[in-house]
Amino acid sequence: MNEAFSIKRIFEGKWTQGAIPLVLLVTLLLIIEIAAPGFLTGETVALLFANTAVLFILATGVTFAILLGGIDLSIQAVASLASVILAQLLPSLGLAAFPVAILSGLAFGALSGIVHVKLRVPSFVATLATGGVVTGIALWVSDGRAITIEEGGRENTAWINATIAGLPVVVLISAVIGIAAFLALRYTRFGRQAIAVGAGEPAAWAAGINVDRTKIIAFAASGMLAAVAGVVLAARLSSGSPVLANQLLLPAIAAVIVGGTAITGGLGGVARTAVGALIISIVRIGMTFVGVNIFLENMVFGAVLIAAVAITIDRSKMAVIK
Amino acid sequence: MTISTEPLKSVSDIERTTLMTLLPGRIAALFGGRRWRSLAPLAVLIALCVLITIANPNFIELRNLVRVANSAAVPLTLAMGLTFIILMGSIDLSVEGTLSVAAMVVVLLAANDSNGNDYGWLAVLAAIAAGTAMGLVSGLVQTVLRIPSFMATLGMWFIGLGLSVYMLGGSAIRLNDASIRELALTRLLGLPLAVWVAAGAFLVAAIIQYYTRLGRHILAIGGDEDVAKLSGVNVARVRVTAFALAGFFFGIAGVLAAAQLGQSHAVIGDGRLFAAVTAVVVGGTALTGGEGGVVNTLIGVLIVTVLANGMILLGISPYIQQTVQGLMIIAAVALSLDRMRLKIVK
Repeated sequence: MNEAFSIKRIFEGKWTQGAIPLVLLVTLLLIIEIAAPGFLTGETVALLFANTAVLFILATGVTFAILLGGIDLSIQAVASLASVILAQLLPSLGLAAFPVAILSGLAFGALSGIVHVKLRVPSFVATLATGGVVTGIALWVSDGRAITIEEGGRENTAWINATIAGLPVVVLISAVIGIAAFLALRYTRFGRQAIAVGAGEPAAWAAGINVDRTKIIAFAASGMLAAVAGVVLAARLSSGSPVLANQLLLPAIAAVIVGGTAITGGLGGVARTAVGALIISIVRIGMTFVGVNIFLENMVFGAVLIAAVAITIDRSKMAVIK
Repeated sequence: MTISTEPLKSVSDIERTTLMTLLPGRIAALFGGRRWRSLAPLAVLIALCVLITIANPNFIELRNLVRVANSAAVPLTLAMGLTFIILMGSIDLSVEGTLSVAAMVVVLLAANDSNGNDYGWLAVLAAIAAGTAMGLVSGLVQTVLRIPSFMATLGMWFIGLGLSVYMLGGSAIRLNDASIRELALTRLLGLPLAVWVAAGAFLVAAIIQYYTRLGRHILAIGGDEDVAKLSGVNVARVRVTAFALAGFFFGIAGVLAAAQLGQSHAVIGDGRLFAAVTAVVVGGTALTGGEGGVVNTLIGVLIVTVLANGMILLGISPYIQQTVQGLMIIAAVALSLDRMRLKIVK
């Protein structure tokens, strides 16, 4: 009994929550290196990063929403819509299709935020609803089909699949986004205010923070990054589809939580999400490697999600667990 | 360090009751008091039927009404389960996962084109039991690990989905058991048996809500969990039971869905969560819990199904349906006055 209590206390310490994911990541890497020597060479690591890029971009966006104590369940829909818009517009607009697709994500993210804040709808329902709205639009625009990016359009997406100095461009894109999000959370007024709102909304409000605006910006950022992820995914697969990113909602949320950001808000950040995304990616590779059926992946991630939430959640903040 | 947040909350209450937040409330208030508001969904349903009939008289034909009833069967059964969860102020996102597990179990255990099993109606019982078990696990995860229901059930959603796709081997498997297929094919008084099963589910749900202690306790927890606890309600047990009950209804819905489609596949649950949440919320059950019920949900399901049917009759792209449902969720939640009780909306 006593021992269980102390283990619990260790898990509830704040620094351990940041350290555990990192230790887990290193352990996983070591296990793979021992099982398959030569894994940790530059080439495979670059490949690992490239395969994690889309997941990381999505997860970075949803980190903003989770840090506020909310959740964004519309990211997969927004990413899919962005992929459809890109595939539709590339032939006519060329490179200008990229900003259009990304801005659509920004718009729908902001819409989620406004619905959540102004109409006072809980974020998981607000984003579930906007996710449905967005999916409907994506299905309608694409007529329910996948749209292949033809030869002409591929000229404009080739740069995403290129490599610069041995590093895939997708890795560079996700690194830039990761660093920007990290700096935004740590050194800008918006970032500080977002963390304050997540840590204690009434206190943040009393301190004069514009809670509503902070939330809307966070959800807009989440939507925009989801659209970026969708665009990158579409460029990599040379195709846009209204269900393209459907399988990414759970891994993205799992990456944030596994990284050590608490769903109760106020604790965590983009660096942790990067670790979480790598863990998810390695677990996925590891499962294929060990021979776990690919269809079981969702089961594993579902269980991992529940376990990670149970460990990271700050129960002192929840009077009633609904 | 503990800081009392009470005074802060009351200040923010005053501030937050600005025009924007009050507007939906005012609109609702225009329709009169609480009693009238509870009739609003019914008015919407009637108005919808009248408008669609004017636009396309085919709507009112018996053949089309039977079609509406038939497509309402699975959503109604699902929404019955979900209503109890939302009445508690929780949410169950595992609808699609649980439904696909139940559909997978019934298809794999009854006569099918993939293995030699032929357990007949035992397969149906097993499927409903599997659904109940999924709900039970959701409830236990939520109460024992003490994590919010939307996260617990988000995990269970994908666990269920992964399990069913794995067991089906990623392909569609046909259901060959004639007696189970009859649920969809045989008609009684002009309506397919599935509709009668759904009606039975509604009756059971109504009895549970209005005439059992469990139903009262669920309402009490949704109204105010602390008060319920202080009144001696075993909150954890009621929660677990409610989630298991929801799983039971999802299990029945899974069987009906498999019977209607004649098969089970990876995407048998797609879009069902959304339709069920829309139905419950549009029917007037408050997301904050404690208000609404299965009768509201019946009307909500009819609104969603009639609208979907009407859109097809009017030649509107079926792809827009999710968009319309999403807007309906937002509108319905925004119009329900009860959110004004909420101090913090997360």
